[in-house]
Amino acid sequence: MKGLHLLPWLAALAVYFAAGGYLSLGTQVLIMILFALSLDLALGHAGIVTLGHAAFFGFGAYAAGNFAIHVHGDPLAGLAFATALTGLFGLATGALILHTRGVTLMMLTLAIASLLAEFANQAHWLTGGDDGLQGIRMAPLLGAFRFDLWGHTAYLYSLTVLAAWFAVTWRVLRSPFGRSLDGIRQSPARMHAIGTPVWRRLVAAYGLSAAMAGSAGALSAQTTRFVGLSTLGVLLSGTVLVALILGGTRRLYGAFLGATVYVVVQNVAAELDPFRWMLVLGALLMAIVLFLEGGLASLGDLAARALAGRRAGK
Amino acid sequence: MRSTWTTRLAAALLASSVAGAALAAETVKIGVMAPFSGPFARWGTQFRQGIEVWQKQHGSSVNGIPIEVIYRDDEGPNPARARQVAEELILRDKVQYLGGIVFTPNALAIADLITEAKMPTVIFNAATGIITRKSPYFIRVSQTIPQVAAPIGEWAAKNGVKTVVTAVSDYGPGFDGEEYFSKAFKAGGGKVLESIRMPLSTADFSPFFERVLKDKPDALFIFGPGGPPTVGMINTWASRLKPAGIKLLCTAETQQIDLPKIGRAALGVVSAFHYTETVDNPLNKALWADLHQMFGKDAVPDLATVQAYDGMHAIYLAVGKLGARAKADDVIEFMRHLAFDSPRGPMKIDPQTRDVVQNVYLRKVEERNGELVNVNFETLPMRPDPWKEDHPEKK
Amino acid sequence: MPFATVLLDGVSYGMVLFIISVGLTVTMGLMRVVNLAHGAFAMVGGYLAVILVRAGVPFLLAALLAAAAVGVLGAAAELAVYRPLYRKGELAQALMTFGLVFVVIAALTMIFGPEIKPLPVPGFLAGLVDVGLRPYPAYRLFLIALGLALAALLWWTIDGSLYGARLRAAVDNPRMARALGIDVSRLYTLTFAAGCALAGFGGAIGAQLLPLEPFYALRYLVLFLVVVGVGGMGNFRGSFVAALALGVLDTAGKYLLPEAAAYLFYGIVLVLLLWRPNGLLPSRAAT
Repeated sequence: MKGLHLLPWLAALAVYFAAGGYLSLGTQVLIMILFALSLDLALGHAGIVTLGHAAFFGFGAYAAGNFAIHVHGDPLAGLAFATALTGLFGLATGALILHTRGVTLMMLTLAIASLLAEFANQAHWLTGGDDGLQGIRMAPLLGAFRFDLWGHTAYLYSLTVLAAWFAVTWRVLRSPFGRSLDGIRQSPARMHAIGTPVWRRLVAAYGLSAAMAGSAGALSAQTTRFVGLSTLGVLLSGTVLVALILGGTRRLYGAFLGATVYVVVQNVAAELDPFRWMLVLGALLMAIVLFLEGGLASLGDLAARALAGRRAGK
Repeated sequence: MRSTWTTRLAAALLASSVAGAALAAETVKIGVMAPFSGPFARWGTQFRQGIEVWQKQHGSSVNGIPIEVIYRDDEGPNPARARQVAEELILRDKVQYLGGIVFTPNALAIADLITEAKMPTVIFNAATGIITRKSPYFIRVSQTIPQVAAPIGEWAAKNGVKTVVTAVSDYGPGFDGEEYFSKAFKAGGGKVLESIRMPLSTADFSPFFERVLKDKPDALFIFGPGGPPTVGMINTWASRLKPAGIKLLCTAETQQIDLPKIGRAALGVVSAFHYTETVDNPLNKALWADLHQMFGKDAVPDLATVQAYDGMHAIYLAVGKLGARAKADDVIEFMRHLAFDSPRGPMKIDPQTRDVVQNVYLRKVEERNGELVNVNFETLPMRPDPWKEDHPEKK
Repeated sequence: MPFATVLLDGVSYGMVLFIISVGLTVTMGLMRVVNLAHGAFAMVGGYLAVILVRAGVPFLLAALLAAAAVGVLGAAAELAVYRPLYRKGELAQALMTFGLVFVVIAALTMIFGPEIKPLPVPGFLAGLVDVGLRPYPAYRLFLIALGLALAALLWWTIDGSLYGARLRAAVDNPRMARALGIDVSRLYTLTFAAGCALAGFGGAIGAQLLPLEPFYALRYLVLFLVVVGVGGMGNFRGSFVAALALGVLDTAGKYLLPEAAAYLFYGIVLVLLLWRPNGLLPSRAAT
């Protein structure tokens, strides 16, 4: 069913043409998808449970923001800069903590993210403190496409970056390196036994995941022209974790489904009832976990099986 | 594909005026952005109360033009979300006015947006000095922190307080409070022994206040965001510093709505603020009465309530004078000359800065009829924002 | 001498963390359930105590009754929503409990409003006690005493009693335990309820330090997770030491170096975890 692969991308394009006033929400969704995809690499495949992935998102956002303010407003240059720098940051922190496992590792990721957030709060000269980083002015993309108020350029730009990273992830996961990550997740001991340099693989995966998250953060900074402390917060780390699990880890499009559903439901619920949307979202999450194994992406499995069953029956 | 903003807007307006019924096209929509959920939900609730009391007293239409209020949750100090919410209100809901806005980062985040969209935006709270400079479409009806922090510093220096320690929460408004209190206090001859900054996430304030005890000042000035930190600060002061004779000075921390959480420990605390719940004027009395009638006898008006109430007042005046589809520049031109009476006292907008000029009251916590309340003992009439004076038009 | 006071402050803060977090050590550590809703149970305990105290029930009794009620709620939750998740893995548990937290926060906001609910301590605890060099808040001494009592009780229960032995057996090897006639399901429900009751108790008596408002469940969740993580999963003594260490180091640090205050807590956590990744105290085979 190769054609099915085109579906999410066609849907994304359809949104571009159809959803006039909603494009900025759409861009938000795309950025969250990219972020969740990065988490899937680290958590879903490599088994690194992290409560602090927002550290990379925010790091990339502030990097891109500062690049635009102090160096040049070109979006692609800023994106490359932020991605590379965040990747290095990921490698460094990964090297520091990835010899630990389980809850200890989780707490360490949280500690690092929290320290970074505190630093950002203090370093006004770099981040604007709790007022946020302002004065980001973006030059037109590729010299031609201006970032307009309605968000057309922003949406297509984000979609392209997402597609590029998706292709990279796809290749990486199918490579021997990527397969070894799954092995490490399932049994580090076994991988050690066959001579895999486990720690090095984990650090590499963590670094790649950080770079991807940094790209997402950079997109956020460039498309909203603003970076706030919330890009580093625990709440964002928790949100992307929830979004990924919701959609289903280690699923080709789990991140897509989860991030879309979470962001859209949260927005719709908050709009319909600004006072009670938490109740709706919470109940939805609980219901999905209790009644749907494997996250939302497994709905696709169920549908596929039902269709196949019907065809076979005919 | 790459249409300009104005063409799109023109098309949208044309479409809406053709498709909509005459009455619908005439409605004035106000988009109120505030936290309605999460830890800051109190702001949204109080804005809503102030708005609803106003509309009960003055109706939901002006000269036959219906006024519709749209509430949107920005969840707290979240500039990205604020920007998104503002965009939706402007582009999708096509409001004529924006209102609300509690937090400075949110106001700053939407500044260039409202300038590009030419959207008159009435700030119901966000209190840092620089905000109204960031866009010519901001009008502020609330307060600025320097405006209320300086008076308490002045008063303390004149009333027997020679040394002070400041302990503020580690965020923008905290620094503003620290700066302007200290400046005024030092100008009056006082000495600041130490300036402590405490992380926003602090749950236990005792180590910081032990330091204050060690410094032995005459008084302690605090500044915190509402909620658990502020209550924690005052309780810690009461249990450790009050017995040692160290007075407490603050601004918004002793608002009447929070006094029951602190208890009798708050008695005697002196603060400076622009709204005292017990201030004696007919508008305030009517506000209390209507609030009780609509929301129960436990409802207490707070700064958010009054500021939203006055925000609506400003918008109603603009609609009354200029109609439902006035040009944004005309609205701003009208609003910058506003002057009217508020439940807090008299207030006006400074035409140069588009910021509020109002009384600042010095008040003390006392017990009346078994309840803890703030009672004014001095009024500083029509104070402008000192920040603007210290920083002449730099942008 | 100010430093003695600071030490007492740190210890009392640590005790509150311990009392609330020890329940999480039980659920997350012993039962291996990722329970992000732990803070919510503590919060509910606090709110219930507020209602009881307003109705005239004496403070300590109210806290105990609230704890019991939260225990019942915990048992109900275990049967209804946690049990199906044991086999579904940690991620599913994380997601479900996260949703549960949202639901609880929203419900409490709707019932009680977003304001802080004060839980005043009784008169004899509210004052100051002379500890030799200067008056010190009695409430904090009370917290220290309670924490020690609780630690002693738990040590006796888990290490010393038959229940404790059964519990450790059931967690280590459920099938074997069942084969030996231990009712593992009932044990799980009981233990989960106990963990929640402890949280509820902590929420009630700690309300002066950690004020009760609907966002409590998320605001302090990280603190509780850290105590359990640093102490070592399922290690009671570890979480006792971790809570005290974090409380004292954080408090003393803030007193001595307020400029570094923001970095202290997580800086200490980072150092402690890198130094002792397997938990502060060596874990006994079963605990």
